[in-house]
Amino acid sequence: MSQPLQPPTGIPDETDRLMGRRNFLRSSAAFAGLGALAASLSPLRDLQDYTSVDEFVQKYYKEMTPDDMSKVIKRIEDQVQRQYGIRPHVRDLKPMDGVEFVYCLNLTRCIGCRKCVHACVAENNQSRNPEIQYIRVLKLPHGSMDVDKADHLYNPPAVPEKGYFYMPVQCQQCHNPPCVKVCPVHATWQEKDGITVIDYDWCIGCRYCEAACPYWARRFNFTKPDIPKERLNPNMAYLGNRPRKQGVMEKCHFCVQRTRVGRYPACLEVCPVGARKFGNILDPESEVSYILREKRIFIQLKEEMGTNPRFFYYFEK
Amino acid sequence: MSPGHKRPTEKSLRRTNRVLVGVTCGFVALAVAMLASPWKPSTQARIPLVDPSFLEQTAWRKSYADLAREKADLSDFECYVCHEKKNPPPLRYDAEHVLIVPDEHSDIKMGHGTHNRNNLCYNCHNEGNLLTFSTRDGNELQFAESSRLCGSCHGPNYRDWEAGVHGRMNGYWNHQLGEFRRLDCVNCHNPHSPRIPTRQPAPPPHPLRLPFVPGPSAPPATTP
Amino acid sequence: MIRAAKDYLTFLWRCGRIAFVGDWRYYAWMGGLTVFCLLGLHAYCIQFVHGLIVTGMSDEVSWGVYIANFTFLVGVAAAAVMMVIPVYIYDNEELHDLVIFGELLAVAAIIMCLAFVTVDLGRPDRFWHLIPGIGQLNFPRSMLSWDVIVLNGYLLLNVHICGYLLYSRYQNRKPSKWFYIPFVFIAIFWAVSIHTVTAFLYVGLGGRPFWNSSIVGPRFLASAFSAGPAIIILALQVIRRVTQYHITNKALLTLRSIVQVSMIINVFLLINEIFKEFYSGNLHVASSRYLFLGLDGFHALVPWIWTAIAFNLISMFLLILPLSRSLKWLDLACVLCIVGIWIEKGMGLVIPGFIPTPLGALIEYTPSMNETLVCLGIWAFGLLCYTIFLRMSVPILQGTLSKSNEHLPEPDSGAEPVAAPAPH
Repeated sequence: MSQPLQPPTGIPDETDRLMGRRNFLRSSAAFAGLGALAASLSPLRDLQDYTSVDEFVQKYYKEMTPDDMSKVIKRIEDQVQRQYGIRPHVRDLKPMDGVEFVYCLNLTRCIGCRKCVHACVAENNQSRNPEIQYIRVLKLPHGSMDVDKADHLYNPPAVPEKGYFYMPVQCQQCHNPPCVKVCPVHATWQEKDGITVIDYDWCIGCRYCEAACPYWARRFNFTKPDIPKERLNPNMAYLGNRPRKQGVMEKCHFCVQRTRVGRYPACLEVCPVGARKFGNILDPESEVSYILREKRIFIQLKEEMGTNPRFFYYFEK
Repeated sequence: MSPGHKRPTEKSLRRTNRVLVGVTCGFVALAVAMLASPWKPSTQARIPLVDPSFLEQTAWRKSYADLAREKADLSDFECYVCHEKKNPPPLRYDAEHVLIVPDEHSDIKMGHGTHNRNNLCYNCHNEGNLLTFSTRDGNELQFAESSRLCGSCHGPNYRDWEAGVHGRMNGYWNHQLGEFRRLDCVNCHNPHSPRIPTRQPAPPPHPLRLPFVPGPSAPPATTP
Repeated sequence: MIRAAKDYLTFLWRCGRIAFVGDWRYYAWMGGLTVFCLLGLHAYCIQFVHGLIVTGMSDEVSWGVYIANFTFLVGVAAAAVMMVIPVYIYDNEELHDLVIFGELLAVAAIIMCLAFVTVDLGRPDRFWHLIPGIGQLNFPRSMLSWDVIVLNGYLLLNVHICGYLLYSRYQNRKPSKWFYIPFVFIAIFWAVSIHTVTAFLYVGLGGRPFWNSSIVGPRFLASAFSAGPAIIILALQVIRRVTQYHITNKALLTLRSIVQVSMIINVFLLINEIFKEFYSGNLHVASSRYLFLGLDGFHALVPWIWTAIAFNLISMFLLILPLSRSLKWLDLACVLCIVGIWIEKGMGLVIPGFIPTPLGALIEYTPSMNETLVCLGIWAFGLLCYTIFLRMSVPILQGTLSKSNEHLPEPDSGAEPVAAPAPH
């Protein structure tokens, strides 16, 4: 295998010249490669407002002191003001004691007008382009709860249509939420009052929760959200409707900025037929307690999943 | 791959040099191409903002109590401007015993109950005093109390309405923290033709990736 | 102590140097791969700035080719260590040195897996949230947290084993059993676990009936142990061709038998799956219908899955027949196997899980040009890494790069070092 060494002769021959050339060309190729590397990074010039140092090192929501939170809120208010020209009021609302929220929806009454969808979009500062809507209304034929038969894009001149019923679906705030189970960084969790919330500044955007949800309730910001300035809702909550960033998840949170101060969620307040009912199930006088006590048939969507949602659909006739 | 065993030949060196020149040129061309053509996002048609009428919370109809609160014109409710006291207007029916609505009240379309069930104005209106309602069990109710009149026949719905479960509530679910507003029956139901009319829905969703499946029964979604 | 550190740094420096030295085929190959890497990097920078909207993904189909490739490559990484079993459990000496090539493939595959997962994240700057202790890793409830731990652990395991064995060979020292034999056995178990954990990512989602089935885990392993050794068979033939490293046909045939058995199991499991989905007629089969037959006029994946099944069947028959003992036919069987399984695991598993959505909507998925360039870039980067690993390890194993010729000039300066006698 071994060959005798050829001592350098001292007189440069053709091979030496070619080898010298090769070494030079090798260096120049490496140099050109580095130049191409720099050029390939050029789109990063357009990066604006991606993250600040404060945001990058921001603590997890549950580990923030009230002082940390007030700094973060100030930063969010400044950001929103810079971007939209309106100074919002952002609060970190905690769950109320002795409260567990439940939502009931009367499928006999819903006419499929989709006003709830758009009221939610307006209240919660959702992106219009690309479009994010937490609520999806399904048009189903009489006699079946099989969602594979659902029509999502119905657009007749008038609703309701004969032979069909309408079922709005949004986050069901399950007792046993698969999204909370699968999130690798605890960015989503369920609070004491039953609302499953997301810390938008902690989410890494892996979209595992979106794959896990059996109700297709979670939405992802594929790009920077586009909220029209004139329709911005300045009454915001940290875990609720403050504007989100590119690359994070969002979903229905039962309008925390409203419900945790005792108000009805936006979808309920706009429903023209009063199909939506919301309240504290721990209060026997609430509408939702009445419904679950008096109505003979109420169901949870996809009950066999074992998620035990806090969202009940009921019928009158 | 490894020239570690013998000195490279001239032929292979020349080839190597040529390849290296090619690689260098390739890198330079690549760098130029990447710098020269900035990527532009594909333009999809902008989704128009929803019509603000779909965001309104106002009830479809105004009740007598609403009108009174707004100090609106209540002359429509002063029956004795036209009618005589102690002389209630007679009801007239056609050949199929369908009520004939007089021309003066032509804006009323009768449709309260199928099979001509509620074909008698005096089922609700008080013959003796047109400014009040009378229930079947003899109660006399003011215009502002019309919901009790509805409840005198529609018991289950009335009980649900009292509990806040039929019809919409607005305001605060937590009654200690704020006011809540319950609408009256007539805010949604026209008492003479109570069935809720059909109406135009808000636009369908716009999925991010087109094309999407048009519904099996609906016409194709209108593009913005 | 200092001496040991200095020796190690010299070793690393020499390995690094040799990665830039080669003949014209080497430069052409590496140059081409680098071009694709840079194109991929450029495409990723665009994605970083504008968001994942530049891909073909949507809320309906929220995972695409990135996760599809990740799933395939975890299988390759797991199977690369499959050669360890015949060598260390069955004392097959033929394959002894080849174990290192398998483990280096595993390292390259894991690097690609980590790259694919990173480019799929919406907020890659928040990766530190995954670090246990500093972040909030949701272990043990989230299967993704398991995946983070096992993949990085597997990477470290293989880097240690290969690094230790190569460095020992470089120093002409017999490697100490305690520094690598236990790790090798851990690696066998760990390899199965990385792929099982990845399978459990899908299986654990009750809301997606297409994935929520106990056959997914075994299928993953069966298909990984077909495609992985198939890649190694091809890689070994390349090594044999471009270096003077001696690889016997017997080694290739041992690997062939692994692919043979795994492929038969894979096809059997496929038959099981198809029967279960289509015989009973219950309702949760929309995704399977979409994949195999098309649904409501949507049939983008139908030609792909049937091509994959055809490739897998042809590959299985070729492997069963003694015909595939000849390298020409074996190579064909391997290529068909790799392509078939790549389609099956990527397009045939990840995408149909999203179509239709849990609410019944049908939105199809096509990867965008940007997304494809990122994928090609990561594949090129993985091949680049593997080539560099081989470029370093083959001379070490052959003895041409060793401590004994440290003092001699490096290969490209005109005088060539003499090959040291091979250690035993």
